[in-house]
Amino acid sequence: MAPRRVDAFLPLTPPMLHTLVALADGDKHGYAILKEIGRRTEGAVRLSAGTLYALIRRAEADGLIVETDERPDIALDDERRRYYRLTALGRKVAAAEIDRLQAIVEMAREKKLVPRPRSV
Amino acid sequence: MSAARPSVTERIFRALVRLFPFDFRSDHGHDLEQTLRTQHREAQREGSIAAIIRLWLDVARDVCTTAPREHLAILRQDVGYALRALRRAPVFAASAVLTLAIGISAMTGMAAVLNTVMFRPLAVDRPEELISISNQSRLSHYVSYKDFQDYRAETSVLSDAIGYVPRVATLGVSGGSERITLELVTDNYFSMLGVQPAAGRLIQPNEGRAPGEAPVVVLSYDYWHSRFNADPSIVGRSVRLGSHLFTVIGVSARSFRGTESLVRVSAYVPFWMVDTFMSWVEGQSEFEDRSVRSLTVLGRLQPGVSLEQARAALVVRAARLARDYPDVHSDISLRVIPETHARPNPSLGGFLRMAATVLSGLAAVLVLITSANVANLLMARAASRGREVALRAALGARRGRIARQFLTEGVTLALLGGVVAIPVVALAMTALRNFVSNTTAVIAFDADFGFDVRVLTAMLVMASGAGVVAGLAPALAACRGDLGATLKNDPRGPSNCSGGRMRSVLVVTQIALSLALLVSGGLFVRSLDHARHVDLGFEPKGMLLATTAPALQGYDFEKRLAFYTAARDRIIIIPGVEQAAWVQFPPLGIIGEAAEVAPEPRPSDPDWRAALAAEADISPEYFETARVRLVEGRSFDARDRAGSTPVVIINQTLASLFWPGQSPIGRALIADGDRVEVVGVVQNGKYQNVGEPPRSAIYRPVAQRSPVSASVAVRASGAPIDLARAVRQAIAEANPEVSVYDVRPMTEHLDNGNAFFPFRMAAFMSGLFGGMGLLLASIGLYGMIAYHVGQRTQEIGVRMALGALAADIIRDVLVQGGRFAAIGIAIGIVLAAGLAQLLKGLLLGVSPFDPITYSAVAGLLIAICLVASFVPARRATTVDPLIALRTE
Repeated sequence: MAPRRVDAFLPLTPPMLHTLVALADGDKHGYAILKEIGRRTEGAVRLSAGTLYALIRRAEADGLIVETDERPDIALDDERRRYYRLTALGRKVAAAEIDRLQAIVEMAREKKLVPRPRSV
Repeated sequence: MSAARPSVTERIFRALVRLFPFDFRSDHGHDLEQTLRTQHREAQREGSIAAIIRLWLDVARDVCTTAPREHLAILRQDVGYALRALRRAPVFAASAVLTLAIGISAMTGMAAVLNTVMFRPLAVDRPEELISISNQSRLSHYVSYKDFQDYRAETSVLSDAIGYVPRVATLGVSGGSERITLELVTDNYFSMLGVQPAAGRLIQPNEGRAPGEAPVVVLSYDYWHSRFNADPSIVGRSVRLGSHLFTVIGVSARSFRGTESLVRVSAYVPFWMVDTFMSWVEGQSEFEDRSVRSLTVLGRLQPGVSLEQARAALVVRAARLARDYPDVHSDISLRVIPETHARPNPSLGGFLRMAATVLSGLAAVLVLITSANVANLLMARAASRGREVALRAALGARRGRIARQFLTEGVTLALLGGVVAIPVVALAMTALRNFVSNTTAVIAFDADFGFDVRVLTAMLVMASGAGVVAGLAPALAACRGDLGATLKNDPRGPSNCSGGRMRSVLVVTQIALSLALLVSGGLFVRSLDHARHVDLGFEPKGMLLATTAPALQGYDFEKRLAFYTAARDRIIIIPGVEQAAWVQFPPLGIIGEAAEVAPEPRPSDPDWRAALAAEADISPEYFETARVRLVEGRSFDARDRAGSTPVVIINQTLASLFWPGQSPIGRALIADGDRVEVVGVVQNGKYQNVGEPPRSAIYRPVAQRSPVSASVAVRASGAPIDLARAVRQAIAEANPEVSVYDVRPMTEHLDNGNAFFPFRMAAFMSGLFGGMGLLLASIGLYGMIAYHVGQRTQEIGVRMALGALAADIIRDVLVQGGRFAAIGIAIGIVLAAGLAQLLKGLLLGVSPFDPITYSAVAGLLIAICLVASFVPARRATTVDPLIALRTE
């Protein structure tokens, strides 16, 4: 299959974006991704297990993440769980989605829909 | 490992994971289970019931949405893949789709017929509550008006009941007139059925309170449209029905098509008016006399009352009637069945269901043959696609997944076949509808065999089933075969061995099934042949029939008789007419009459029961016209007229039943309550159907009876059809008011009537199915042999190079084909014998194990199998040894 262009993946669904972001700082297994999203959004985004693995499956099929054999955190390792890593494509796609959102936020600010953050 | 049983929660988790597709499960099942477990543990640690409940609700919602979505995603992928693969092989796709379409069309057509006959509810309120109440007697299934009222009074089980009777009438309006079928209905007909008017109003309860008091008519929606252009101003106008004026009071709802699935009713008239429309028995009142039975009765069950409860209550009521009126009720029993089981009428319902079921069974066999054929095509393609399949396997597709892909491909093909089948079936059903409407013009037959949700659902289920069967064989082969082998440079593709065997099994199955179908067809053809050679007791060749019903014009006894005489006088002088006579009902038609007869004096034995005899009124020349042999006494003549001694001519069966060894001439008998004197005896014949045992029959003179309708039978010196126009014209000259219908040769009357029609239909259908099955099986065998020959190209090349003769090679291949044929035929004979057992009730004069049929069909199959093998065998001998060896 010819490699798909980054744009072809956009827009990402919020759960997909959260999943990719959760993997940005290191390999994680499914449950860890779930916990991370819950923690970072303070419970605002809650993924259910079935939805999460369906997402992982799709991201894997699209080449956004890969399963990895390396075990990053010895202490927390559960060797029967599968660990996933963000691919270069996945990183680009996530970044592109964030840029896209950024552009929308910029636009909204210009139109004074939301306040600008206090600059330093 | 711990042997302890997993906890309930644990088992629920596993069950939930099982809801996901196989691939999903094997990739993520373990993680998903683990995650659920951890979440559950955390919720428990929180210690609040609310948290646990929330988790369970969340999990339930999640699984219920995600699992089906995952299945759907795979399905979409598979279907997409299947469609792409089919697009790449259009010839294969087209042949597979068309093959499946054949079987699916046959089966869907049967489903459409069954639907009309057995399943489609009437277009009325709560049709499932309707039950048919009828008499089970030797004479008819109809119910008398008085009995109907008694049954209707069983209000503990019936909320209401209606009675109706179809009649033919001429409708005259603004100059022209035409014959229509109308239904005489009890006044509560429309209110019980819950039918609404499309214009005006419908017949209401208490519409008239005495015979002759309600000269009103309701038009059916279709008739209102076709005859009156849906003109609403027709309401309130008068139309002439027969000899009386009726006021049009309204039009029934568009969806309402009457209460009989096979009759096209154009108008509804209150039953009070029955005497206006050629009451079959004169001098007796339909309203008072319990022996005058003419109503078809439908009851509506009280809410909560079962059919059995209603039957029990009604049977008690019938027993009371039998006690109170022993003379008219002695040999009747009551039949209470669901309305859907009483089509086209309560006594024929059972037979029709049986015949329809048998034909559907034959169609199902054809579906199996087409599926086997397509399975074979898929296998052949799997073999040629071996590398692709192997590649997918190497890339990580699991066998289960590949098998699933084959099943999807089979089902996709079958559904496309279904799409092709829809217009085919629609055309066939229109043709069948036209055919049914043309069988007779006495009553307007019309069956709507169209598609509805039920037929489409049945088609979808059948197509999916056929698709699964077609995809199963290659799927199994994919599961079993060593798919990796192909990549290791085996040019002939994977799983030759197991796939090849599977294909052989499929070909043998096809041969066996088509043999079974052809044998059924053969048995019906033999039955038809037997029926055609049965001695009918008259000579049908060279006879023309034309039917008239002068009573439709409201003619009385004298006027009818004058018409019959005048018309015959004109017909007899037509050049080419040898003889002509009137007969009330030509033998072996759809309609006939029967009478209860007893010798006079009546035998003293209290258990003695009157005999049932076929009955027809004839004019004196009938026996000569039909070439019925007079055995004793005389035929009718000028002495037998209205007012003179009532006379009768009986057949030999009746003569030997009543007066064995004695002459019946001059003796008397009671027929339908009349005392008549026997003046002649004629040879036996067939009256109702060709398979009947010798039956009693009586003939009475037209001059003494003046029947309400009769057919003129004309003996022609040349081709009878050539006289049709002249006969029509002669009748019109005798009386232009009386319309003539069903002008056709006697042979055609027999072909389309009770005599031969059932056998012709069965022979045609099973022959058609069998022929298609045979064609498919021979294509399958051809493909199979060609494939094997292809496999052996090198071997054959080597043998040729070493000096083998072409004849040897051909013989080898033929032997191989012959082996398949022999096994298929052997299995097929066993299958056919089983199937024929089921057909036994439909056969005539031929054993279900008829050796001639079996050997003829087997011979035909062997011949076709040899031809199918010969073509590839011949090609094998043209192999160039050098080329064959070079590819090695």
